[in-house]
Amino acid sequence: MLSLLIAGLLGALTSGTAVPGAQASVSLPPFTVGYEPSSVDERGIWMEADERERRLRDSTLTDRDEALNRYLRDVLCRTVGQERCTGVRIYVVEMPAFNANMAPNGTMVIWSGLLLRVRSEAELAAVLAHEFAHFELRHSLHGYKQKRRASDFAAWIAVLGGLTNTNTSALQQSLLGSVFQFSREEEEAADRLGFQYLAAANYPTIAASQLWQNIMAESDATAIGHGQKPKQHYNAGFFDTHPTSLRRADYLAEESKKVGDTGRDARVENLRAAMASHLPEWLDAQIKLNDFGGTEYLLQQLAAQGGWTGELLFSRGELYRLRGNPRDIVASVQFYREALAAGYAQPMLRRNLGMSLLRSGQKNDAQAELHEYLRLMPDATDAKAIQALLIQ
Amino acid sequence: MNRIFAVVAALSVAICTPAFGGNSLVQPGIQKAIARSSLSAKADGEWNRLARRDGKFVELWTRDGDSLNKVSFFGGVPIGEPLLREADKKNRPLPKVGSNMLITDIPALLESSYRIQFGANRFSVNEQEPATFGGYPGVKFSYTFINDADEVERKGEAIGAFIKDKLYLVTYEAPSIYFFDKDLSAFRSLVVSLQLEPKR
Repeated sequence: MLSLLIAGLLGALTSGTAVPGAQASVSLPPFTVGYEPSSVDERGIWMEADERERRLRDSTLTDRDEALNRYLRDVLCRTVGQERCTGVRIYVVEMPAFNANMAPNGTMVIWSGLLLRVRSEAELAAVLAHEFAHFELRHSLHGYKQKRRASDFAAWIAVLGGLTNTNTSALQQSLLGSVFQFSREEEEAADRLGFQYLAAANYPTIAASQLWQNIMAESDATAIGHGQKPKQHYNAGFFDTHPTSLRRADYLAEESKKVGDTGRDARVENLRAAMASHLPEWLDAQIKLNDFGGTEYLLQQLAAQGGWTGELLFSRGELYRLRGNPRDIVASVQFYREALAAGYAQPMLRRNLGMSLLRSGQKNDAQAELHEYLRLMPDATDAKAIQALLIQ
Repeated sequence: MNRIFAVVAALSVAICTPAFGGNSLVQPGIQKAIARSSLSAKADGEWNRLARRDGKFVELWTRDGDSLNKVSFFGGVPIGEPLLREADKKNRPLPKVGSNMLITDIPALLESSYRIQFGANRFSVNEQEPATFGGYPGVKFSYTFINDADEVERKGEAIGAFIKDKLYLVTYEAPSIYFFDKDLSAFRSLVVSLQLEPKR
């Protein structure tokens, strides 16, 4: 009966949105509008999730920009279907790192650092679909039950081991491992179901794999920038809750080959338009993280899409100036000047170009730039400090 | 009997002491060798010196607990060193004091360190003006920030200078509501009294 219901619902979902060649091998779980938790455990984790959501709603770090929130909701609804997306509330949190998560009650949290890193609407849809899949598959509940079962079991084994004077550490270890293994399996299940949504919504499915490739490349660039060896894991460790990025990129790419991406649109421009007004603040937060390698990689990626705009060149100048090696200061002067030539007109450019010139010993040029900054911003909050630098 | 009591009392004192974590009282008057440096200041009231040090060159003072009001003395951070002890040196290294930094780089260094170390994703530097730090030219600045741990908006005021290739910085931070204004004048009188003693 249940399987019939699942098949029926699956049919209902795919009939409206399916595209030729889309895989329909994964059964979608039953879906009800206005689903209410049904067991004691589920009601408990929902209650906790409701509390967390209240805090999130009132948090000062939540981005309440209407246009951005509307855009994200539209992408989610386009990806998982109008009916299903009604069960989800999206919150954008100002955190300059790549992360998103989903609570059992339908709270979806997206960090601003993730929005800075997706290259197309299709990649964004891949993330939203993955998180939605966790929600739909009720992973929080299953994970919670699995942890409880394993710890109950471990406690009984310890008691029995004590009574019979048997060493149970190996068994306990494998129970602990099963929890992490379970978490990795759920991640993969969410990846695969998310993939189905991506395919059904007519986004290029390779986006899911590309996203992980980009994350790996950035993490390598960060490691190199910090003077470490780039290190991508080929196998998930014992305590890892997620499969390795490499494995995810691989199986998602494999799925994508099966589906084929002809005639699908990644909607790159739509994403760029929606993010444009937030880009300066997100870049600013990223640049101040002292992650030279990763940030340089990000800027290169952004420039590869839309060219080196004045905004990106200014950010690059900032990145180099903040690392502050003598050669970086010289490079930053060049980037600031290129930004100026590209039409970047923010007064901060004059200020920071002046700072770099001053630090590289070009006092006359520096003074000209700093005077220009003060002319443009006579009431700048740092005007007095800048004047002090000018008379030194 | 008395001897046993004395032993018990001594033991209980010994056991109880770590509960205070080795924090100590700062009496009103001149305090020398702050942050194990040549920095001295005159306290016009009582403060508490925390046993916890957030870095090699840091000393922390507070009145009501460091989340309510905190004065951090950075006593001569040399070139190539971060302001704070790095929580995750490998993955989240902090920016270091640079060789030819300008006074306007001091607020930027503090901002970046806080963003990385405390997840202060909202941090804005406000007024910046020239000031003297124990007779040396420096910068005085104010700032506002929110740490992701408690999301409380805090205000800060600080004075810093590069003196003989070392960064000296004294900051005062407290929640914007009530606490910042409460001890601001006490902090400002500390700042006025800052001195760099000749080498001990």
